[in-house]
Amino acid sequence: MDFGISEEQKEVQTLARQILSEQVTPEKLAAYDEYRAERLDHDLWQKLATAGLLGVAIGEEHGGMGFGFTELVLFIEECGRTIAPVPVVPHLVSAALPLQTFGSDSQRRTWLPGTVDGSGLLTAGLTEPLHEEPADPQYTRAESSGEGYRISGVKTAVPFAAQAQRILLAARSPQGVVVALVDPNAKGVTCHPLKVTTYEPQYEVVLDAVEVGAEDILAGPEQGEAVMTWITERTTAALCAHQLGAADQVLRLTASYTAERKQFGVPVATFQAVGHRAADRFIDVECLRLTTYQAASRLDSGVDARVEVDIAKIWAGDCGHRVSYSAQHLHGGMGIDRDYPLWRYCLWLRHNEMTLGASARRLSDLGQRIAAGEAFCA
Amino acid sequence: MKLEFTPEQEALRAELRAYFSDLMTPELQAECERDMGEGGGPLWHAALRKMGKDGWIGVGWPKELGGRGMSPIEQFIFVEEIMRVGYPFPFLTTESVGPQLAEHGNEWQQREIVPKILAGECLIAIGYSEPGAGTDLAALKTRAERDGDEWVINGQKMWTSLAHFCDYVWLATRTDPDAKKHKGISMFLVPTSDPGFSLTPVLTLGGVRTNATYYDNIRVSDRNRVGELNGGWKLITSQLNRERLSLVNYGPTAVFFNTALEWARSTELADGRKVIEQPWVQANLARIRAGVEALKLFCYKQAWAMTEGELDMAMASAAKVYGSEFFIEVYRLMGEVAGQASLVSKHSERGQVLAGRIERLYRSASIITFGGGTNEIQRDIISAAGLWMPRAAR
Repeated sequence: MDFGISEEQKEVQTLARQILSEQVTPEKLAAYDEYRAERLDHDLWQKLATAGLLGVAIGEEHGGMGFGFTELVLFIEECGRTIAPVPVVPHLVSAALPLQTFGSDSQRRTWLPGTVDGSGLLTAGLTEPLHEEPADPQYTRAESSGEGYRISGVKTAVPFAAQAQRILLAARSPQGVVVALVDPNAKGVTCHPLKVTTYEPQYEVVLDAVEVGAEDILAGPEQGEAVMTWITERTTAALCAHQLGAADQVLRLTASYTAERKQFGVPVATFQAVGHRAADRFIDVECLRLTTYQAASRLDSGVDARVEVDIAKIWAGDCGHRVSYSAQHLHGGMGIDRDYPLWRYCLWLRHNEMTLGASARRLSDLGQRIAAGEAFCA
Repeated sequence: MKLEFTPEQEALRAELRAYFSDLMTPELQAECERDMGEGGGPLWHAALRKMGKDGWIGVGWPKELGGRGMSPIEQFIFVEEIMRVGYPFPFLTTESVGPQLAEHGNEWQQREIVPKILAGECLIAIGYSEPGAGTDLAALKTRAERDGDEWVINGQKMWTSLAHFCDYVWLATRTDPDAKKHKGISMFLVPTSDPGFSLTPVLTLGGVRTNATYYDNIRVSDRNRVGELNGGWKLITSQLNRERLSLVNYGPTAVFFNTALEWARSTELADGRKVIEQPWVQANLARIRAGVEALKLFCYKQAWAMTEGELDMAMASAAKVYGSEFFIEVYRLMGEVAGQASLVSKHSERGQVLAGRIERLYRSASIITFGGGTNEIQRDIISAAGLWMPRAAR
């Protein structure tokens, strides 16, 4: 049981923290409010690429650092700490990692160098309307078409669908689930923009008899479901890491603010009700940290992590919700003042909470694993 | 950052599990249950001495002191496994007071007392709180006055658990009444065999017995003083940090979850479904499972931190607050699953589930939200030491 971080991990963390804290400012984030500009900082994306961070978990043969999932998770945590306007989770975790692990040589050569140097953009459409089981597509169907498939259906809440070169998504064929890389500019694809609480560019992607060639099929019907499960577990852990970075930053902001803000001649932090609520959030953040790192560690080792991933996501939802509302409350009016940086964080905490299975859904999933005898304590 | 046990740690756990399974005979089990989970009976003492003789009590202690030289993580695995089998392990002595003696004790304490602790032959009760000094512990009045080479101790302590079968009391006394209250406290090891020592039992809601203890002109040698004169507060806080971690050991809760889950999977309702097939039951058990996992990691991270050097005060307090309040939630969630049957005690002729454990646990769960340092103070510590928020003057 080693909770320490290695030298390499410390370097990734420090480098990411340095670039992100310099480049992501409240003024820059304000430009994206109300969708006035597209929430994607291309300049920052390039800086992260130049620093090697986009390739942190990509093999050296493609120009990456050759590190593992843990290091990627630590990078994503830093992105959460600044709520950086870059698509790290959909691109690096939901699309690039499975391409690296399951893709053909040709697919890897096509997509991984662009991942590392920042010239490419990939995303994934994991969920369907009111159906958040990525490995079990219901609305999206595939039928054989030549060497590839013809796909019809719908995916929702797809980040950066219109901007990406490919959207990774699952479709159900008569033989099983297939995983395809869909070109948003292909005939039959319509990306309907959604407006969401955090101003992240998201789309409902409607597919009408979209032809996908063999070169854009990542997994056939024998492996599709397993590949989608693999992607879902890692995306979930990454969301938890993003949530952790954001929650920790919010906690620190709250501690600082209440230490400065005076009423009745004393800092409001000295009132026990304020200190105690902050203390409860300290516990929440530590529990999120512990369960997130455990999920990441197990996924990195390749051991079964289904239970641990569910547990981390439950904590991400509960911790995120409580930290979000406690922080706003303890900041009083400043918490809702759009000129003060807190509110954007609070919305991101709720965004991550509700993405890919909020706490109640994950409790239900975990409950089913428990009922099936798969989640006894060791 | 690898949050999995090493093969060596898993092997140790397996070895301990087999060892304790042998050790915990039905007779010992019965004696422990009779003594309300506190221990102190003859079979309990014999088992402790056997663990000592087999070198297990000090598994994480340095070899120079008689331990096995492993780390605090292995020590924690040992305490976890012994607690899982339901043996009421004297962790206050071995995990919190003992290390203070090992670090701050004088030659006599390190040569005489520490080895006896590791041999399972010396037990120490904690004498801190008084009728007028609980949360405000530094207001304590029990006095130790110097008389030549000796000290004369007078006073009264409350909640001196296990004192009725302990050899010593780790006693907090006022040695300088003129200094500021935190700076005039010293620690002593006071032998319970002294004629000036007496106690009266206090029976609690959970059925567990504790004690009020009285110190009437007890004379001890200066070698019984632990650590610096008037430097006792530091020893108290170090001891409490470690105690807090032990109090929320998740082992018994993990066993309880597994046992209750087996029951829910195998027990039928009137309509033929198993208890576990009800979605709300699954959700309740999932809440427990998610919370236990966090508590496990909380404990092990602090054990790891001790291996690296320091037990962080804010984290020890955070573990204690989280665990103590979580246990109550566990018993409630499980009680809901069993419903009215959760009210039936183990003494009932019939009608109980899970041997009446839920009834006892739900009845007695309220102790450690104030015991070991009330959670309000713990939260004050967390906000100050963990978040650097300023404190109110008191």
